[in-house]
Formats: sequence, structure tokens, C-alpha cells
Amino acid sequence: MNERSTFEVLSPWAQADPIPLMGISPRLEDLAAKKIGLFYNFKRASALMLSAVEQELKKRYPSIITSWYRFSGVNIPEIETNNSDKFKEWVKGVDGVVLAVGD
Amino acid sequence: MQKPVVLLANEGFVTDGRSAASSKGMPGLRIVSESVPCECTIEADAEAGIVPVMEQIIDGLVQPLTAEEQSPTSKERVNPSRIIFKGDFAETNRFFYKSGWGDGLPLVPPTEEAVQEMLTGTDLRPDHIVGTVQPRLGKATVEKIAVNAVMAGALPTHMPVLIAGVEHLLDPLTRFGTFSMSTGSWSPFWVVNGPIRNDIHVNSSSGSMSPGNIANAAIGRAMGLIIKNLGGIRKGVEDMGVIGNPGKYSMVLGENEERSPWVPLHVDEGFDKDDSALSLIFPNCFTQTWPYTSDDKGILRSIIYNIKPVGGLCCFVIPPAHANTLAQKGWTKEMVRQYIVEFARSPAYRHHSFYDTNNALVRPGNAPLSAMDTVAAITDPNYARIVVAGGPGTFMGLVFSAAFPGARWVTKKIAVPANWKKLVSKYRSLVPTYERY
Repeated sequence: MNERSTFEVLSPWAQADPIPLMGISPRLEDLAAKKIGLFYNFKRASALMLSAVEQELKKRYPSIITSWYRFSGVNIPEIETNNSDKFKEWVKGVDGVVLAVGD
Repeated sequence: MQKPVVLLANEGFVTDGRSAASSKGMPGLRIVSESVPCECTIEADAEAGIVPVMEQIIDGLVQPLTAEEQSPTSKERVNPSRIIFKGDFAETNRFFYKSGWGDGLPLVPPTEEAVQEMLTGTDLRPDHIVGTVQPRLGKATVEKIAVNAVMAGALPTHMPVLIAGVEHLLDPLTRFGTFSMSTGSWSPFWVVNGPIRNDIHVNSSSGSMSPGNIANAAIGRAMGLIIKNLGGIRKGVEDMGVIGNPGKYSMVLGENEERSPWVPLHVDEGFDKDDSALSLIFPNCFTQTWPYTSDDKGILRSIIYNIKPVGGLCCFVIPPAHANTLAQKGWTKEMVRQYIVEFARSPAYRHHSFYDTNNALVRPGNAPLSAMDTVAAITDPNYARIVVAGGPGTFMGLVFSAAFPGARWVTKKIAVPANWKKLVSKYRSLVPTYERY
């Protein structure tokens, strides 16, 4: 191959359709007396991190309630697993969620 | 079910988290960067990383949404024009490298002419979409596959393997998305079976996994570029492999079917011997060991005592001489596999999960009573496969992947174009001839 040749080259980068964007959910006015979901995965740090979050939240808001949920899969949305109903029920029962994945 | 969510991410994973949120259509996800050591097991360290960011966590749940968070504006998707650059070899390579489209080695410029030649390797139309590759959901058109194949130095006769390779990436059973982006630096390990091996010279003999053969080198390299440029998996952004893995350049092996006493892998997987097929798992390491003695017992002892007790998908690459020794002693491939699965055991204390907070070993009905109790190194017999490959000599390859839920060995048929024989004859003589000295 002659290094001085000029090449007109094609792009290797794939075309992709735009992904419909969603806004995030409205926030809470206050955390007092709210039920906060603590969602963690299989990675070891995740539960420890959320334990610390739980402890700190309860220090600041003694009336706060927490509810734990362990993500059952690895990189598969929980809503697409066999636990979908259980997960939906859990989400329905909490006011907000703190999520930790261990990394 | 609209609920406010805050994601905690280690400071090194915030970019990854943002990319993942955007790819799911929620670029505004509130992420709090924390400094808890990744996969930390020490309570005090977790607390020390969380306490300083508690106000941010609380703010994340209560601070009103900005207009952009409420209604994110469409992120511009980079859909580049077909012809992307004009320049000489060095300029083209620098442009591609700076655009993040390379793998660090020089690339063959994908000119119209080169891509057209590559497309002779398939009967599919250039605009045919094989699928969309996660996480970016890039459209894997046949032309884009060909462009990346040219860049990797592949030949048109490799196109059928690459198209089958892309089909693998689309199959949920391979768990491609998990393996390719995991901190574990898992690399695709491709095994080629059937007549196409010889048609395109996939090395299955001496040094099958070493550099030096176009097919073994370019097929793996092209798949690496396809994963990056079609799937959008970039190192340190989506691919969070901690150490990385040289296997991501290329890890392609042909089975030495002609010298094997057993049926080949693809026949075990339900294909005809005359079919060509491609199999895939994602290991992150392999080791090589030699028989303690040259009989069947020595071969098998060496395998079972050198298995990494990770419990996941694995491949035992046995050179023809040992395969024939085993076969002569009456061992079928299935017997070898069952033997390995039954007798490859190690003390519980050697299994990471014995110590985990989410202890997978210590479950009711499954708990070792002491750290010295032995547990199976391979947790599911279906995880293990035996492939005969390699040249003369005694070393064997033990290839280890993981047990991500749902992950399986996957084998797919390779479909060749109608003009295959003619195409093969055009490139068949392209083999290295080593001068004697």
C-alpha cells in the first residue's frame, strides 16, 4: 500500500435510531415519614452502602421508613425477570428509591 | 409507577452510569458520585464513602426537577455520512483513532473499493440489517460489518463468520452485553467448526491461538471493532474491564476435527458434520497445563487439579495426541466431561463466594460444613465443552468464563454465499510460506 495514496473512506460507526427520551420522575417535597426503597444488586458493596444510607437517613428523619429490594439478575431489568410482579408491587409501595450497584 | 430515584455510583463509574441511563432513554437520571471502594466488604469503608455525600443523596430525592430533567431535549445521535474522511494512510488512521473507532493498531482504510470487495463474501444486501447491537443499538448493516472487516484486515471469505458472529451478539443466551461491559474484562472466544475452517485457513494446529494466521487474527479483531463501532462499547466508558484483556484483540480457534477421535463441537451442539458453525463464550483467562503422566489418568488429573474454581462456563482445549490417548483408553468426550465435572473439586475456602456477603455457597441445602469441605469447581455440567485443537506437544488449554445467570455456550450455523467455491479459490492461496534456515 502506497502511504502517499489518498483514500476516501467509509464510516465504521453504526447508524442508530434516536431513543425516545423520558424525563425523570417528580421529586418528593420532604423525606419526613416517607418510605424509601433501598434497591441493591449482587455486588458486595451495594448492601453495605445502602445500610449506611439507611442509617444516615434515619438519623436525619427519624420518621422515615425503609424497604429493601434485592435485584435478582445481572444486567437484566428487574421488570423483565420472573420477579416482575413482586418488583412492581415493591415500587408501588415506596415513595422514592436509592439504588446501589456496588461499583 | 413514577418514583424519584437516585443512583449511587463510584466516582470511576459515573460516566458509565450516564451512558447506561442515556441508552435507556433517561439521560437525566440523578447519579451521586461516591468514593466507596468498588465491591467493598468493609462496613466502615462503606460508611466513610457514603456519609460525605448524604446531602447530595437527599437533594437527589427532593430538589425540584429542572426543565431539562423534566423534558430532556433530544440528544443528537451521531449518524455520520457514509463517506467520512479523505486522506492518506497515516491521516486516515489518525482520524479513525481520534474518533475512537480503532483498537490501537493500524487500520486498513475502508475505501469504497475495499468494502465492495468485502461484500462479495455474502449474498445479503449491503443495507440488510442483521440486528441492532447493544447498548447503543447501532444498526449492524452488512455494509457496516464489511467496513469494520476491511479495517481489521479480514478477507471477503471471512464475512460469513463475521455475520454469524454478529448474530451471536444479538442472542441473549451469550449474555454479550453483560460480559462485554463487565469489570471482569471478559473477551469473546470464538471456536470455528466445519468445512469453512479449511476453506479460510482457520488455524487449529500449532499455535492456534497465537498471531500469524489471517483468519484467526482478523476475525477476532473485526468482531472487536464491530462491538465497539456498532454496539458502541468503548473502553472505560461502557467497557469497564478493570485490567482489560489481550484476548479482546482476537481469540479465535479452529477445532482440529481431522485429528480428533471424537465428533466435533458443532455436532455435539446438534449441527451436521458438514455444516460450518461458530461457537462463543466470554472467558477472561486461560491457563496451560501438561499431563502429570502421559496416560489417560495423567491427562485428566492435570485438568481437574488445574481448574480455577469459578464455577462458570469453560472450555478444555485438548491437543490431538491427548485426545487420541484418551479415546484409545475408551474415554468418550462425554465421559471426559462428566469426569471433569464430578472430580474437579476444591476446598470451599478456595471459592470466593465462601467469603461473600451474598454467599452463594452457603445456602440451605448447599452449605459446606467447613472451609475444608470440597465443592464442585464447575457448578453445571452444561457449562463445560471439550475442543480438540493444537499441534504436537503436551500442553493443554483450560479456558475459564463466568456463571452469569442465563449465560450459555452458543453455537450458530455459518451460512456461506452461493459463489462460495469460486470465492474460496480466489483467496485460498493466501497462506504464509516460511523460508527454511
